[in-house]
Amino acid sequence: MIDFKAAFRSWSRLGAVLGLAMAPLAAPAQADTVRVTVSYYSAATGPFFEKMAAEFAKANPGHEVKIEVVNWNALFQKLQTDISGNANSDISIIGTRWLLDFVRDDLVEPLDGYMNADFRNRFIGTFLNPSQIKAKTYGLPIAASARGLYYNKAMLTAAGFPTGPKTWDEVVAAAEKIKAAGGNGFGVQGKGTEVDVYLYYALWSYGGTVVSPDIKAAFNSPAGVKALTLYKSIVDRGLSQPGVTDYDRTDLQNLFKQGRLGMVITAPFLINQIAKEVPTLEYGIAPVPTGTTNATYAVTDSVVMFKNSKVKATAWKFLDFLFTAGPRIEFTKAEGFLPTTKAEAADPYFTGNERLQTFVNLLPNAHFAPTVTGWEDTAKAVTNAAQSVYLGSATPEAALKKAETEANAALGK
Amino acid sequence: MRGRGGVAALPFPVIAMIGPSLVLAAFVVGYPLYEIVRLSLHEVSRFGMIRAFTGWGNFANVLADATFQASLWRTLIWTGFVVGGTMVISIPVAVVLNLDFAGRGLARTIVMLPWSVSLSMASIVWLWAFNADYGVVNTFLTAIGALPRGLAWMARPETAFPIEIAIGIVVSIPFTTTVLLGGLSSIPGDIYEAARIDGAGPWMQFRMLTLPLLKSFIGIAMILNMIHVFNSFPIIWIMTQGGPNDTTHILITYLYDLAFRLGRPGPAAAISLIMLVIVFSFTLLYLRMQGRERA
Repeated sequence: MIDFKAAFRSWSRLGAVLGLAMAPLAAPAQADTVRVTVSYYSAATGPFFEKMAAEFAKANPGHEVKIEVVNWNALFQKLQTDISGNANSDISIIGTRWLLDFVRDDLVEPLDGYMNADFRNRFIGTFLNPSQIKAKTYGLPIAASARGLYYNKAMLTAAGFPTGPKTWDEVVAAAEKIKAAGGNGFGVQGKGTEVDVYLYYALWSYGGTVVSPDIKAAFNSPAGVKALTLYKSIVDRGLSQPGVTDYDRTDLQNLFKQGRLGMVITAPFLINQIAKEVPTLEYGIAPVPTGTTNATYAVTDSVVMFKNSKVKATAWKFLDFLFTAGPRIEFTKAEGFLPTTKAEAADPYFTGNERLQTFVNLLPNAHFAPTVTGWEDTAKAVTNAAQSVYLGSATPEAALKKAETEANAALGK
Repeated sequence: MRGRGGVAALPFPVIAMIGPSLVLAAFVVGYPLYEIVRLSLHEVSRFGMIRAFTGWGNFANVLADATFQASLWRTLIWTGFVVGGTMVISIPVAVVLNLDFAGRGLARTIVMLPWSVSLSMASIVWLWAFNADYGVVNTFLTAIGALPRGLAWMARPETAFPIEIAIGIVVSIPFTTTVLLGGLSSIPGDIYEAARIDGAGPWMQFRMLTLPLLKSFIGIAMILNMIHVFNSFPIIWIMTQGGPNDTTHILITYLYDLAFRLGRPGPAAAISLIMLVIVFSFTLLYLRMQGRERA
């Protein structure tokens, strides 16, 4: 026999508990929760955004910002999965080069309607451009970096280039001396993300381009062949670290931090890493070596708002807050990025920082990754081409020709 | 209780007991399968938006893709070597562990230990062990003078892929040994005694008694390993991500590369269906072997 009375009592108790639990949710009339996906740049990323969320919640009572930090390598897949399941956040950081795919599927909100002239005017000249597609702005540049040549002062002084090499010929000459002294000369990246970009440094400096204005592969050019031949000879003559296809960017940076690599091309955030991990390392930063011209690679990451967000007004409010002077300076300083807003650029930390200024000065000659479909396929094709040349299984000419066919199959499609 | 077709009709309690799990299984297996078939027949954006119907287009493109062909071939090499190597090592290990000797419990525990470590963790540890600059392998080999200077093991497919196969073998041994030990313990001891009286030496006993009686267990361990190794993702993905220049891809890593790096769920779905057919044929083989056992 079931004791209905007892059952009723326990159910009503449960109901009361549930009712109490629901009560706070219903209290304020307009309580928005803004979910933000951010990429892990360093140990400082999570704490920074948590702090911003807390400050925002304090200034906007009732609203809440939830931060989710995702490893950069997993970010794209996470967004892909979240979006397929309609469970994506309201705001996310993305690689600006991915933006076109988001726009094509109509997933991100154009931000022009939210921005006034005053807001636009916060940004430095061209930094809004990479996230504009068909005259609409879909992303705000949250992080920017460019590339320069880091050199080990002791090794390069002994090799006769105390202020770093200026041209590729000088890089080779310095690497020869370093090799003769038993060291690793010029670091060549042969693994992981940006193997292609590492090749483009040389390609651009010889006046080449990666993708033509009519969105066709353009890297299979005299400049491209020259760049890949240069790297091949550096690898074959032992002027780089051995086993280049085993070294991704982090591995190269580690080698440099340990004082076991003469030269490496990478981003400004290595400055912060060295300051924290090996403050005794004597190093300098020079522009990317020139072939026939000056060139560097500039990258921005953008923050976008998703179209399916139900809290767009509050989400924008949070974005607006993130791009005010205080948060911007704190973030860019902590992560070692380059300023994207005028307020940051005017801050004494940046104007007085000689090393960062080297990067800032490179920006006028910077190449951005073009916002075209098939960029990832192009990157993969060129990466494979470079790897096959470093492994000795293809000539630069043949490898680039093959990559050109592969890239053209995907570019602009 | 016989139904009209001569097939035994299941009594209601039996249906009631297996019914829910059948429905659940049908949903858990059926829904993803339906989705994958749908993706494989369409052009799909990287965010899973279905665009144009392409029919067999994805399959045709995949089959004509040189990287797919190379990966398929490499998958067969991978599966063959890992499973073959595992069996060659596991059979003697199981036979030894079945003997009665002091410290057998400890020895069994040591052999089983790798099982308790997740594949991903094991792969990361091995990746560090083979690191060119500070890996223990290079340190050891240079210390004993076998190498003048450390090798970049993961830089070339000629060294990276065999290392991955070796790790695949190491992590497959515990499972295989367990299955074989189970088989060995089912062989009665008195037949060995009889064989000894008839003058059979240890090798003869192994060849004429152990191996034939263990055959069905070896077969099952092989098939289960084949299914598992064929689909094994972590070792290769963590150690080389299929690189350099796509020279260490097997089908499952190439599929992942296509779907999540290049953002092409359509062709990736086609590959996964092709893999499904291959694994399914392994499974049929397994079921047939099991059936033969029972008969």
